[in-house]
This record gives sequence, structure tokens and C-alpha cells, in this order.
Amino acid sequence: MVTFFRKPCAVAVGLNRGQGWLLMCGLLAALAGSATAQPNIPGSPFRLAPANQPPRPAVPAAPTPAPTPAPAAVTGAGTFATPPPFHDPLLNLMMAQPKLDVSSPVVASAVFDPPVVRPGEPAFYRVALNALEDTMSWPPAFDAPAGLRLEPRGRGQVFQIAASMMQPRAAFNYHALAQNPGRFTIPEYVIRANGQDVKVPAATLEVRPNPPSTVAPGQILVLDLAQTNLFLGQSVRCAIRLPGQPGGIVQGLTQVKVEGNGLVTDQASAVQRIETRPSGGVPVASYVYEVSVTPLQTGELSVFAQGFAVGNRFGGPIVISGPVTIPGGAPLYTLLDSDPRRIRVRPLPTTGMLPGFTGAVGVYHVGTPVITTNVLRVGEPVRFSVQVRGTDGLARLVAPPPPQIPDWQVFPVAPGAPPPPGVNSPGFTTFNYTLIPMREGRQMTPPIPFCRLDPVTESYVDISIPGLEVTVEPGQAVADLETLAQAARVEEVEEQKLALSGLTGSTGLATGSLVPMQQQAWFPWVQAAPAVLFLGLWSWDRRRRFLEKHPEVIRCRRARRALRRQRRILRQAQQRRDPAAFASAAVSALRIACAPYYPAEPRALVSADILAVMEESERVGPPGAVVRRVFDAYNAREFAEGENGLETVLESAPALEQVLARLEEKL
Amino acid sequence: MLSIAGARAVSVAEALFQQGARAYAEGTYPLAAEAFRESARLEPAAGTLQNLGNAEWQRGRAGHAVLAWEQALWLHPFNAPARNNLAFARRTAYLESPNLRWYEVISTWLPMNAWAWIAGFSFWLSVGMGVLPGVLRWNKASWHQLVAALGLAVFLLSLPAHAGVNTRARLGFILEKDTPLRLTPTAEAQVVTRLAAGEPARLVRERGRYALVRTNRQLGWIERDTLGLLASKP
Repeated sequence: MVTFFRKPCAVAVGLNRGQGWLLMCGLLAALAGSATAQPNIPGSPFRLAPANQPPRPAVPAAPTPAPTPAPAAVTGAGTFATPPPFHDPLLNLMMAQPKLDVSSPVVASAVFDPPVVRPGEPAFYRVALNALEDTMSWPPAFDAPAGLRLEPRGRGQVFQIAASMMQPRAAFNYHALAQNPGRFTIPEYVIRANGQDVKVPAATLEVRPNPPSTVAPGQILVLDLAQTNLFLGQSVRCAIRLPGQPGGIVQGLTQVKVEGNGLVTDQASAVQRIETRPSGGVPVASYVYEVSVTPLQTGELSVFAQGFAVGNRFGGPIVISGPVTIPGGAPLYTLLDSDPRRIRVRPLPTTGMLPGFTGAVGVYHVGTPVITTNVLRVGEPVRFSVQVRGTDGLARLVAPPPPQIPDWQVFPVAPGAPPPPGVNSPGFTTFNYTLIPMREGRQMTPPIPFCRLDPVTESYVDISIPGLEVTVEPGQAVADLETLAQAARVEEVEEQKLALSGLTGSTGLATGSLVPMQQQAWFPWVQAAPAVLFLGLWSWDRRRRFLEKHPEVIRCRRARRALRRQRRILRQAQQRRDPAAFASAAVSALRIACAPYYPAEPRALVSADILAVMEESERVGPPGAVVRRVFDAYNAREFAEGENGLETVLESAPALEQVLARLEEKL
Repeated sequence: MLSIAGARAVSVAEALFQQGARAYAEGTYPLAAEAFRESARLEPAAGTLQNLGNAEWQRGRAGHAVLAWEQALWLHPFNAPARNNLAFARRTAYLESPNLRWYEVISTWLPMNAWAWIAGFSFWLSVGMGVLPGVLRWNKASWHQLVAALGLAVFLLSLPAHAGVNTRARLGFILEKDTPLRLTPTAEAQVVTRLAAGEPARLVRERGRYALVRTNRQLGWIERDTLGLLASKP
């Protein structure tokens, strides 16, 4: 009979999921091989001689000693060789396993434990099905009744032997809490399991102030943590306790887990015992399962424990102390869980870290190292071992990296396989190294830096592995040994460099944007600025060169400026009715206006020079007369005793303005 | 006003940087990452981006971490911790480095904006040394021509790096793990492959909420949100 699996399952007899896959693959390969019977497949126990060929004896494919082939059996046209005796241990183990029952009708049960509680007292809504957990569509679509708070908690799967078959049993727990009296019913609902619709029956929780005394409280696990304030990587011992029932009846647990994100459980460190502790004045026997867990994530972690109550089926050795009653009969495989506990996980201190820190957090002691011989030869490897003792986390303790020194080559030896589940940790771990001396003489083996973090003092403690004194004799080292050693060192250094760096203390080189400057909108404008600057300089240079060739342009410009200034002074003098100042300003203005036409200082110009600049008609007309009058008045004031004409010079102001305007136009 | 606003943003960024460092030391990496991200948004700085990468890596967001470290190197190629962290992340997560062309490799030698400054300065120096002696009537000297020639040479040599910066600006990294690479920019399109967080991809063009990217091996469409560009805000 062939049983088809939806997924290879890890059976309860010590096979994990990966081994389950192997078993499945092996089974399928064997079945395919037997069905197709391909001839001469190396390693295949079945061999087919093709038709129309003479029969030949079977030849074992492997050179290993094989039993003597049995005589061939002849059937029809083909000749089949009798297969040799079958010795594949994996296939034997696989064939010896009971089959998985996935064909039975799936039956679901749902109960409240206990069915009657007081207001505010917790109860447990337990759902169990005889189906594989992975085939179910969980969580189902049901609504908690109003006034009842349901919180999902543990879920798991166990296999129980029933009628020579392994029957899966999946269980799901919810913690239920109601603050007010009433009857709370979760109605019947349907889920998919094993590809079929399964009805989960209705369950009712009654909450009333005075429940009957015969109703026992719901079973719950108690999770005790030795510490709740941990460092990252610090192992802590967890005790998962299942209190006994009245009468000292104690059950065992299987598939005990500490659930929570960011935790890893060291199952190799698990121990179990039954002990009696006083509780409420009376001794109460409890089943205790202790295991080490290690946080791998910092922050606040929430953890809880779960396990299946299995009656008297204790897996592995157990220590029992005190009077205990262990129930007989088949176990019920009830999934129990604990209330969640919170763990605060702190990051490792970044200061004071010593060389050789590999994550050892806790109390560890390094023993005296042992070397296989203290008389060595150059180039010959020797085993160097040291035991490290400690309380927790030994299984995850990483050996410190070997030092890089010129006189020795040191290689870490890969640790052996961890002890199987159920085998207790021996309380120590051994670090092995292979040492190769590179220089002869009496010397010390290299000390190996190692340190641990003391969680109590929150500081790093040096526990370096000391060296041993040895004598190295000349050996037969090959010439390339040194080169090989150097190459190994370089590789090791490269490996060591690759680790996540710490934080930097400053923001460092900053910029306004991560978009490159040349892609910013303002970049073309910034680049245009020098172009504009150079263009301006070039224009300025051209203008300058032009003015150098035409200096009269500048003289006229300066004259215009000075003329405008003098005309302002002239108008001010006119307003003040100051004839002397008026005459002086008028003469200056006339001289400035005509100076560009003469290679002389403006002060040297006289009336005739001014008149020469004017046109003939102006010279003989009123403008010329005004010029002469102004000069006469000015000369009279400057060189004569009296003030001839000064009194009338102010009257010629309008005409003088016209003359000056004409001269300015000419400039 | 602008300078006052800028100074205020810098002081806020510094405060957020310190807040992120404290959160990181306490192990609250999501908080640290948010603080570093906000600080880098206000004032992109190599140290802030490096720390942002560390915090994202500790959060388990490899894509965001790789992007932040690449941006730190984009700003400051001599940032050894960021380079080391990238190598560490790529070895740990089995990620590929981006395939850079030769001129892009040259562009990684200096900070991204340095090439623009070098190109601009050398060009205008060359122009200036050609124009200024005549304009300012300096006595003719051979060093004028030498400087002009040198400036022109530097400008020409910096052009490939300049182009490298431009093309690297379209380089991005996949932010989310198992990002589907599709044949067409539709949700129903056939998935060619799934990209790991931190894989490099070049943005070819965008269409709607999809982006056509070229990875080291394939061309396809991904959702635009799942690609973090080197030249984008953190």
C-alpha cells in the first residue's frame, strides 16, 4: 500500500523535517526504480536483461564485497537476476516507519477548559483535529462573542500511534477572558483540513460568580525565566513547569517549545524532572522541563512556552523526587501553553571590547590547554585543545579566531556535531586548533585572544587561551610552505575585515541633494555666470580700445558732465541774484563747453575762442552778444576797479541758457 | 531667510542624527533608522547614510541598507566603513555588485559633485587664461598658455567621469526581497524572475507605477516603489 503525503512530515521518533524529505525521496526513488526496472542502473538492486540477448548473471555495480548472486530466475522472454540482499539502512529505516494516517475522516473538537469560570478568570479555548497542521486553513473565520476576549496563543502538532499508523493531531489554543457573567458560545464553523471541509463544533463558556467546586481550573504551564534583562546572545535558563493535579498526579510534556520572535532554543541543554514544591501550604508535585534560550534580537521580546501533555510518556531520562502519581492509560495529547513573559534584550556594550570576542556572554572559564606533544617538527601539524567551562550557551560558544603570527600557522578545527536532543550538555566545550610551527627552537605556542562579556559587571573580561612551551625541531618543510602560510594569512585578514562596522560619530561630508549637481536646474545658470563675466570683460576691453582711439569722446563726455554742473551753479547764482557768481559760472560754463575743441585748458579760453566755436549767424547775432556781455562783465569784475555791466548780466540769463544748450548739443 | 532656514535644517538634522545614534545604541533599530533617514532627508551626509545603512541592516532590510551605503559612497567614496559594510552585506546575502562601465568606474574615484566642479573650473580656467591676459593687458608669458592647456586637458579628461556620474544617477537597488521582475508593466504580467533585496538595477524608463530596469542579467518591469535610486532622497 502506498500512502501519499501532502508534505513529508517529521515523525515523532527523532526525525526532523529534512530527514522526512530524505525518506520521501528515497521511497519515491525506490518505487520508481521498481516500477520502470531500468537495466543496469548503478547501485540499483534490480537488473533487467533485455530480450533477445543471452541471459547473463547479475554483476554487482559497486566494488564492495557483495553476497554471492542467487541463480537467475527465467520468466517468459526476459531473464531477471535475483537481487542481492538489501542492506540500505536508510531505506530499511524508512520502510520500518509506521504509515501516516491521512485518509481517516477528520474530526474536530473544541472545548473551553474549564467550561465554567468566574468573571475575570481565564479559560482556554482548545481546538484539536486529527489532521496535519500544514493542510489547514488556520485561523478560521469566526467571531468571538461580544464580551469575550479571545487571544490566540499556542499551536502545534503531534503524532500518536493508533492501529500501527501515525495519526497527526493538530491543536490550537486561545486564551479566553470575560469580565461579566453570561454564557458565551462560539458557534459551529467550518475549516479546510486535509482538503476537506471539517466542522468544528460549537463550544460554550459559562461565566458566573459561583462556579461549582467540582470544576477544576484549566491546565496552564508556568514559564520561569532565570533572568529577564539580558544582553544580546546571553543564554538564559527557562523552566517550564506543569503543576500536578490534585492527588499528586503529574503528566509529562512533549514537543516543549519556547515561542517568541528573536529567540533560539538550545534543545541539547534540555533536562526534565519531577519535583515537589510547597504551594499554598501543601506540597505540589510538578513536571519541570528546563532548557536554555538565547535572544538574537534586541528590544522587548515576548515569549511563552507550550507543549503537549502526554501522561506517562516521558521522552528521555527524568529525575523524580518526592511522592508522585503518574497516570496510566493512553495520553490525551492536550496542547498547553503559558502566559507570555517579556524579556528585555540589550545590545552589547560597544566600549571596552577586547580582542577575541566571539559573542560569549556569561560566565566561562578557560581550562589548561592540551597539546598532543611538546616536541614538534617544523611544518608538522599538531592538535591543540582547550576546554571551556560555563553554565549556559556552551553549545553556541564560538571559538576565537586564531592569531596571525609569523612563526606559527594556526587553523581552527571545525566543531563536531552537537549532541543529539535528549543528551545533556556535558558542561564544557572544547576548542580545537591545529598548529604548525614555522621556525625551530624552544618557544611558546601562540596565545589565542579570547574574551567574554560579564553580564553582571557589563564589562568585557579577558579569558585568553594561554600558550604552551614546546620544542620545535627542524623538519622537512617544503619550500612553498612559507608562501602557502602567507597566502593563508592574507585570506584570513580579508575574511576578518568583512564585518559590520560600528556607527560613525559625525554626519561627515554633506551636500544639499543626492541628485548630481549637473542635473540640477540651477547648474546651467551657474555655468553661464563665468560666460557672462568673460563676455562683459571682452566688451569692456573693446570699448576701452575704441576710446583710446577716440579720446575726444571722453573729453566731450567729461565736458558735458562739467557743463551740467556749471549750469546748476549758474541757476543757483541767478536765483540768489548774485551777479558776480553768475558771471563767473557763466564764463566757466562757456569755457567748459568749448574746451574739447581746443588743445588747451578751459581756463585759457577767452571770448573769441568761444565765439569761434559758434556758427557765423550766432556769432553776430544775439548769442554772440550774450557771450561778449558775459565775458565783459566777468573781465570787468576780475580786472577792473568797478563792476561795469555786472548789474545787467543777470538779465541775459535766458539767452545764456539757450547758448549753453546749443553748445551742449554740439558736444 | 534661506540661510536661516538652511541653518535650522542642519541643526535639526544633527539632532536627529544624535537621536538615531542613541536609539541604535539601545537596540531600537527601527527608531534609529527613522531618525537617520529623516536626518539624511534634511541634510544628506555620508556619515548619516552610513549609519542609516547599519540600522536598516540590523532591522533585516538588506535592500535599504545596501542603498544607504551606496549613497554614502556616492557622496564620499573614501568612506571605508561604508565600503566594508557593502562588501560584508554582499557576501552575507549573496548579492551582486553593480556592473559599472569604465567611465562609471572612473566617476567613483571622487564624490559625485567633484567632477562637475572640476570640469567647470578647468574649463573656465582655460577660457580665462586665454582671454584675461589680453583683456587685462598682462605681459605675454608662456605659463598663461600652459595653464590654459592644462585646464583644457583636465576638462577633457573629466568628461568621461562626468558622464559616469550622469549614468550612475540612474542606478538603483531593489528594496524589497523577492521583488518580481515582470515582462510587461502590468500586475498580471508573467514573472521572469524574482530579485533579491539589494540587487542592483538600472532604471531605463518609467511607465505609470512601473519602471523598466536592467539588472546584471535581465531586463524587465518592476514596481517603481521597489527600486531605490542612488540619486534619490533617502
